[in-house]
Amino acid sequence: MNKRIGTKLVALVVVVFSLLLFQSSVYGQDGSTVSGTVLASDGTSLPGVNIVVKGNTSIGTSTGPEGEFELNVPSSDVTLVFSFVGFQTQEIELRGRTELTVTMNEEAIIGEELMVVGYGTTQKSDLTGSVSKVNAEDVADIPASSVESLLQGRVAGLNITNASQDPGAGSTVRIRGGSSLRGSNSPLVVVDGFPIGNAGNLSQINPDNIESVEVLKDASASAIYGSRGANGVILITTKSASEGETNISVKQQTTLSQFTSKLNLWRDPALMAQLSNEGRENSGFQPLYIGEENATGVYYPSVRELQTGSWSTFTEWDDLVFRDYPISNNTTIRVQSGNETTNFSLSGNYFTDRGVYVEDDYEKLGYNLKVSHDIFENLTVSFSNRLNKGIRNYNGGLAYWRNPIRSVYDDDGTYNLVGPNDYSHPMAITENRNDQTKSLDVITFLKAEWQVIPSLQITSRFNYDYGESVQDTYYPDQYTETGDFNNGAAGINNWQSRDIVAETFANFDKTFSDVHNLAATLGYSYERNLSRSSSLNAFDFVNETLRNENMAAGNPELNQVSNDYTHTELVSGLSRVNYTYDNKYLFTATARMDGSSKFGENNKWALFPSGAVSWKAHEESFIDDLEIFDQLKFRASYGISGNQGISPYQTLSRYGLGNYYNDGQWVTAIGPGYEVGRTGQGGIEVLWGGIPNPDLKWETTAQKDLGVDMAFFNNRLRVTFDYYDKVTSDLLRERILPISSGYDRMWVNDGEIQNQGIELQIDSDIISTRNWTFNTSLIFSKNKNEVRSLGNTIESGLNTDPKTGMRFEYWGNSLAQFRQYPNILAVGEAVNVFYGYKTDGIIQNLEEGIEAGLEGDLAQPGEFKYVDLNNDGTINGDDRTIIGDPNPDFTMSLEISGSYKRFDASIFLNGVYGNDVLNTQAFNQPSETPLRWTPDNPTNKYPSLRDSRNTYLSDWWVEDGSFLRIQNLNLGYTMNLWQDNTARFFVNASNLYTFTKFDGYDPEVGSNGIYWGGYPRLRKLTVGVNLSL
Amino acid sequence: MKFRINLILLLFGFAIITSCDLQEKPHGFYSEDNFFQTAEDAESGLMYAYDALTFLEYSRGIFWLGEAPSEAVSVKADEGPDVVSLSQWQIDGYPTNSVLENYFQYAYIAINRSNAVIEQVPQGDFDQSLKDKYLGEAYFLRAFNYFNLVRHFGNVPIHESTVSTVSDTEASMSADIDEVYDLIISDLEQAINLLSIDPMLGRADKVAAQSLLAKVYITIASAKENDVPLYTDMEKDVDQMYSNAAQYSGEVVNNQSAYGFDDDLMNIYDIENPRGPEHIFLMSMDRTGEVEGDYSKIGKLFIPYIDGATIYLENNDGTYTPSHDGFSSLQTNSSFYNSFEDDDRRKTDLMVDSVYNENGQLTAEYPGSILYPFTRKYIDPNFIGDKESTKPYLIRYTDVALIYAEAVGPTTEGYQTVNYVRNRAGLGNLQPGLGTDEFRRAIIQERAYELAFEGNRMFDLKRYNLVNDIVPAASNLSDEEVTFYPIPQTELDLNEGI
Repeated sequence: MNKRIGTKLVALVVVVFSLLLFQSSVYGQDGSTVSGTVLASDGTSLPGVNIVVKGNTSIGTSTGPEGEFELNVPSSDVTLVFSFVGFQTQEIELRGRTELTVTMNEEAIIGEELMVVGYGTTQKSDLTGSVSKVNAEDVADIPASSVESLLQGRVAGLNITNASQDPGAGSTVRIRGGSSLRGSNSPLVVVDGFPIGNAGNLSQINPDNIESVEVLKDASASAIYGSRGANGVILITTKSASEGETNISVKQQTTLSQFTSKLNLWRDPALMAQLSNEGRENSGFQPLYIGEENATGVYYPSVRELQTGSWSTFTEWDDLVFRDYPISNNTTIRVQSGNETTNFSLSGNYFTDRGVYVEDDYEKLGYNLKVSHDIFENLTVSFSNRLNKGIRNYNGGLAYWRNPIRSVYDDDGTYNLVGPNDYSHPMAITENRNDQTKSLDVITFLKAEWQVIPSLQITSRFNYDYGESVQDTYYPDQYTETGDFNNGAAGINNWQSRDIVAETFANFDKTFSDVHNLAATLGYSYERNLSRSSSLNAFDFVNETLRNENMAAGNPELNQVSNDYTHTELVSGLSRVNYTYDNKYLFTATARMDGSSKFGENNKWALFPSGAVSWKAHEESFIDDLEIFDQLKFRASYGISGNQGISPYQTLSRYGLGNYYNDGQWVTAIGPGYEVGRTGQGGIEVLWGGIPNPDLKWETTAQKDLGVDMAFFNNRLRVTFDYYDKVTSDLLRERILPISSGYDRMWVNDGEIQNQGIELQIDSDIISTRNWTFNTSLIFSKNKNEVRSLGNTIESGLNTDPKTGMRFEYWGNSLAQFRQYPNILAVGEAVNVFYGYKTDGIIQNLEEGIEAGLEGDLAQPGEFKYVDLNNDGTINGDDRTIIGDPNPDFTMSLEISGSYKRFDASIFLNGVYGNDVLNTQAFNQPSETPLRWTPDNPTNKYPSLRDSRNTYLSDWWVEDGSFLRIQNLNLGYTMNLWQDNTARFFVNASNLYTFTKFDGYDPEVGSNGIYWGGYPRLRKLTVGVNLSL
Repeated sequence: MKFRINLILLLFGFAIITSCDLQEKPHGFYSEDNFFQTAEDAESGLMYAYDALTFLEYSRGIFWLGEAPSEAVSVKADEGPDVVSLSQWQIDGYPTNSVLENYFQYAYIAINRSNAVIEQVPQGDFDQSLKDKYLGEAYFLRAFNYFNLVRHFGNVPIHESTVSTVSDTEASMSADIDEVYDLIISDLEQAINLLSIDPMLGRADKVAAQSLLAKVYITIASAKENDVPLYTDMEKDVDQMYSNAAQYSGEVVNNQSAYGFDDDLMNIYDIENPRGPEHIFLMSMDRTGEVEGDYSKIGKLFIPYIDGATIYLENNDGTYTPSHDGFSSLQTNSSFYNSFEDDDRRKTDLMVDSVYNENGQLTAEYPGSILYPFTRKYIDPNFIGDKESTKPYLIRYTDVALIYAEAVGPTTEGYQTVNYVRNRAGLGNLQPGLGTDEFRRAIIQERAYELAFEGNRMFDLKRYNLVNDIVPAASNLSDEEVTFYPIPQTELDLNEGI
C-alpha cells in the first residue's frame, strides 16, 4: 500500500506541474491574444493604427475600420507600441491584460496646415512670404454684421478701426499702414478666388459661412494680385462639406447692447442757463435765459425760474432718442452633405440689427448654396450662388443733446419747435422723415478643376456679381431744412453694378529625384465692371401723405435729375514658380501683368514682379542637433505691387458746362475746362481741370520683408517675427498748372510715402491634455509712417513752415470750430499729423496776455495763453508747429483661452498706444464747462466762457488716445446630444471695459484722429447656441 | 485629348490678353472727340467762351483794375487786402496779389475757350455763313482778352491754340508788345471780315470789332506819343495809328445805322432797355440766374450800405425808382465829385446824394449818413434779393464816338462830336480853337466824366502817361511802375516757358 500510493502521488504532482508548465508556456509563447479598440481623444475610432510589440517589432498588427485589433503576443508582460501619423506614439505595458482600450492624443504637427494663397494653396511650412491665418472657430462667437470687425487684433500688421457703431456700418482696414493719399488704402478682398473689391464694407459675406481668413501681407504673397495688391490682400474661404458627412447645423445668437458709460448731457438746467448767460455776456451779447422772448419770439426762462422750479419742464431727450437695450439677432441654418463624388451645402441667414437710435435698424436675409461634383475621377465642377437682401432704415443723427427745458409737445399737441428754423426736433424727424435703402446682391460662381495628371491641375472659373440698391428719401416741410426750403423734398437714388471675373490657371507640382520640388502656376484673368446710377429729386408737394411715392406730384419746374455710368476692364496674365531643394531651401518668384482701361493711354500695361527665399534651418542637422528648435525658418522677400487709384475716365480730356444769357435767353454753354474743385473762402473760387494725362498710371509699392518663424517645446511655443519696409511712389496728386494755361489742376503721379515696421506673434499651448487646455496668443505690431515727398514745392502748392523749413499741405477738411485744417501732410512726418499752436495754460491778467504776444480780446484774462514759438513778439500763423500724431506708436493684443472638459473660456484684450486724438468737445461737455475760468476761479486748466472767441487750433485740444480694451470675454459649454450630435451654448461679452485716459467717450476714431463726440461705445452681450446634428 | 484642348484654351486666353482693347470710351461727358460737330455745338462752345467774362474774378476785376486805382474812387478799408492794395498802389504786394492773379487767369480761360472755337469750328459740318459768324465772334473775344491783358500787364505769354497737353501749358512770353498787338489787330481784322452788322444782346458783331480795333489803334497812338513805357519802343508810326483809329471809328460813327447816340442820357442806363442804341457790347447777366456770374452783383459794388434796406431814388419827373443797397465797396472820391461842373447832368442826374423811402420821405443823404455820392448807372429796380441784371458796359457808342473825335483831332467833326456829348449832358460847347494836343487832353477829361465808373478810366490814364500825375496814391511811383502790373509770381514760378 505505501509504495503504490507514493508513486501515484509523484505521478499526480508531475502531471499537475506539467500542466502548470504547459499553462504558463501558453502565455510565454504564441498562445496569448490581446484585443481591444483604439480611439482618438474625442472618442472616435481610429483605423489604421500601427501596433507592435516593443523589442520584437516583427509581431504586430493594425486596427481595423472600427479601431479594433487583435494580436497574439509572446507573453503577458510585453509592452505594446501604438503609433499613428498625427498622433503621439503610446507605449502600454500589458501586465497581464487581454482587453485594452487605448486613447491616442493628436500630435501638433509643425506646419502641416494648408494655407490659401493667391491662385493656389501651400503648406504653412513651405511659405516664403508673410501670410497670417485666422480660423473661423476662434472668432465664431463674436457678434458682427460684417467680417472685418471679427479680425480686429487677430493678425499682426492688420489694423482695423470701427469708428462708427451704426447698424451695418463698415470699418477702416489697413495692412502695414496707409500708403496712398488719393487712392484707396483698403486691402483687396478675395472670396473663394473672386475679387470683391476693397475691404471696409463686406456685408455680403455671412461671417458664419467663413472657414478661414488668410491675410497676405508682403509683396511675395500679394504681388500676384498685381495692380491691386499694394495694400495687402485678404483671402476669405467659405465652408464646404467634406466627404462622408451629413450635417445640419443651426446657429442662433441674440445680442443686447448698452452704453459703456453715461451720456454727458445737461441734467441741471439752472446751471446750464447760468453758464450760457455767462458765455454770452462775456462776448457782449444779450444773454438768453432772462425770462423774456428773444428776437424770434421764443421764450427763455430766467435762471431764477429754473432754480426755483417755476419752470419745471425737464425732458431727458436721450431717453426718447435712444433705445434702452437695442437687440440684434443672427440666425443661420446650414445643411451640408457629401459623399465620395458630390457634396453640397445650403445655408440661410437672417440678421437683424437694431441701432441705438430709435427706429434706426438694419435687416439682412440671405442664402448660400454650394454644390460640387466629381464628373470624372479627375474633373470636379463646383457651383455656388449667394444672395443677400438688406434693408436699412436710417434714423440716425438725432439731436439727443436738445435743450432739456423744452417739452416734446406744445399745449395744443403739436411738436414744440423752437423758433421758425428748428430742424432738429428728434421726434418730429423720427415720425416724419423717411430714409430707407433696400439692397440686393447676387453672386454666382462656377468652377471646373481638372487634375490632368497627379502633378498638374487646371482650374477655370467664372464669377458674376450683380448688385443693386434703391434709396427712398423724404424730408418733410417744417421739420427739416431741405424740406422747409422746398416745401417737401422727395428723392429716389438708384444704383446698379454688374461685375464679371473669368480666370483660367494651371497649377503644377512635382518632386524630382526626391530632393527637387518644383511648383508652378500660370494663368490669365479678365474682369469687367459696369456700374450705373441715377437720382431723382422732386420738391414742393401739396401734401405730405404720399411722401416720395408719387414724384410727379411735385412742382415740375423744380425737378432735378442726374445720372452716371462707368465701364472698366482689367486683363491680366499671372505666373508663379516655387522651387524647393531638399525641403530646406525654398525659392519663389511671381510675376503679374495687368492691363487696365483706367490707366492712361501711354501706360496701359503694368508689370509686378516679386521674389522670395526661405531657409528651413530646422531641417539642417546642425540645428536639429541643438534640440532647441522644432521649427526655425528664415524668410526674405522683395516685390512690387500696385494700387490702381485712378477713377474711370480720369485720364481723358473733359469739357465743362455753363449757362449764358444769350440774347435774352438762357442757353447751355459747353467747352474746354470743367470744375474739378473749389477753393477760397466759402468755396467761392472754381478750380479748373480737364487736360488729359495719357501718362497717368497706378501707384507703385516696393516692399521688402525679412521674417523668421520659430517653434519650441514640441511646437507648443510658436513665434513669428517680421520686419518690413514699404515705399510707395508715383502717388496720385494734383499738380498746379501755370494760370496762363487757363487751367488750375491736373492729375499726375508724383509723391512718395514710406511705411516701416515690425510684427511679432507669440502663440503658446501651455497645457494640452485630454481634459485641460490653456493657450495664449500675443500679437505686437509697430508701424512708422513717413511722407517722403509731395512733389515739387511750387507745382504742388506746398506751404513752408518758416521756423523749420518743413514743406506741407493742408489735408482733409477745415474745421469751422478753429477756422483751420487740423491735419497736414508734411514731408518728413507721418500722414495726418496735427498742426497748430502750443499753449501754456490760461492768461490770468492783461499784462500776461500782452507779454505773450496777443492783443485785443485774445489777451484778456481767461483766454488761452498761446506760445510765441518764433519769438517775434506776436502770435500768428508762423507760431504753429506739429502738436500731435493720430497714428499709433504700436498696437498689441492678447488672447488667453482655455478649456476644461466641456467648458471653454477665452478673454481677448486689444490695445493701441501712442495715438493722439483731437477732442473737439473738450470744452463743450456739461462735465467740463462748469470748471471754466472766472475771476473767482482763476484756474490754469480751462478758459473762460466766451461765445465769440476766435479759438485757434492748439495742443490744448489734443489728447493721448491710448487705450487697452477688454474686447471679448467668451464662455462656452459643449453638450453631447444623442449619437454624434452636439450643442454648444455660449455667452460673449464685447467691449466689456476700456482703460484709457481719454476724456471723451471712446478714443477709437477715424484715421484723421478727430473726435466729434457722438455717443459712448456699446457694450454687447451675446447669448447663443450652436447645434450640430 | 482633353489635355490638348485645355492647352489650346490657355493659349487662346493669352491671345485675348494681348489683343484686348483697353481704350476708355468717355461716357456722360463731352470732349473734343464728341463735341463741335454741329452748328448748335459750335454756338454752345462760343457761349462758353463768352461765359468766361462773367465769372466774378473777371467781371469784378474789370472794376478793381479799371476803376479802383484811379482818382475817381477809393475802396473801403475792409474790402479785402488785395483790392485795397491795388487802390492804394502798394506795389510791393502786386506779384502775389490774388485779384491780379484771378484777372490774369480768367483772361486766359476766355482765350483758351475762344481758341477751342477757332480750332474746331472749321472742321464742323454745317453752313459756312454760320461758321463765319462764330469764328468772327471767337476772334473778337480772343482779341478783347489779349487787349485787356496787354494794357494791364504789358508782355504776356501767348497761346494761339488750345491747351490740351501738359507741354501746352507752358507758353513763352511775347518778345515785345508789338507781337501782342499784331495778334490783336490781325484777329480783329479777321473778325471784321467774317462778321456782319447784327445787334444781339451779349454778343459781338462787326461794329463791335471795328470799335475795338479803333480803341486798339488809339491806344497805341496816344501811348507812343506820350512816351508810355514799352509803347515808345513800338515799331508803329503814331500818325498812321491815329489815322487807322479815325478810319475804324469813322466806320462806326458814319457808316452804319444800327447803333448811335441815345439822346436821352438816362435811357442809356435803363437796365430794362439793354438793347438801346448805345450798347455795342455788354457783359450779359440776368437776375434769373442761379449763381453769381449768371446773375450780377456789380451794382452793389457802387451802392453804399444803408442798413440793408430797400432805397428809393428820386427821378426828374417826381417818380421814385427802388433799388437794394450795396456793399460800399467803390466809394466816389469827393474830389472827383466836386470836379464836375455844377450843371453837368452826369453829376446832377446820374449821381445820387439823397435817398428816400417808398413814401417819398428823405431817409439819408450825402453829406450825412450816406458815405459818398454814388452812381445811378447800375441800379436794377427789379432786383431779387442780391441778384441784379446789371450788365457792365464793355463797349458803348459814345465811347467810340469820343475816340473818333480824339483821332481826328480839333476838326469840325471832332468838335461836333464832343459838343454833342457835352450838350447832352447839359453843358456848353468845348472851347474852340484848341491845339491838337490840348484838344485830345480835353477829350480825355470829357471821357472821365462821360464814362465814369464804367471801367475805362485807368486805361485812359495809362495811355496818356497821367497815372502818377493825377492819382495821389501813385504820385511817387515811376512810369514803369504805374503802367504795367507785374506778371503774377505764381505764373513765373510754374511756367517753365518764361
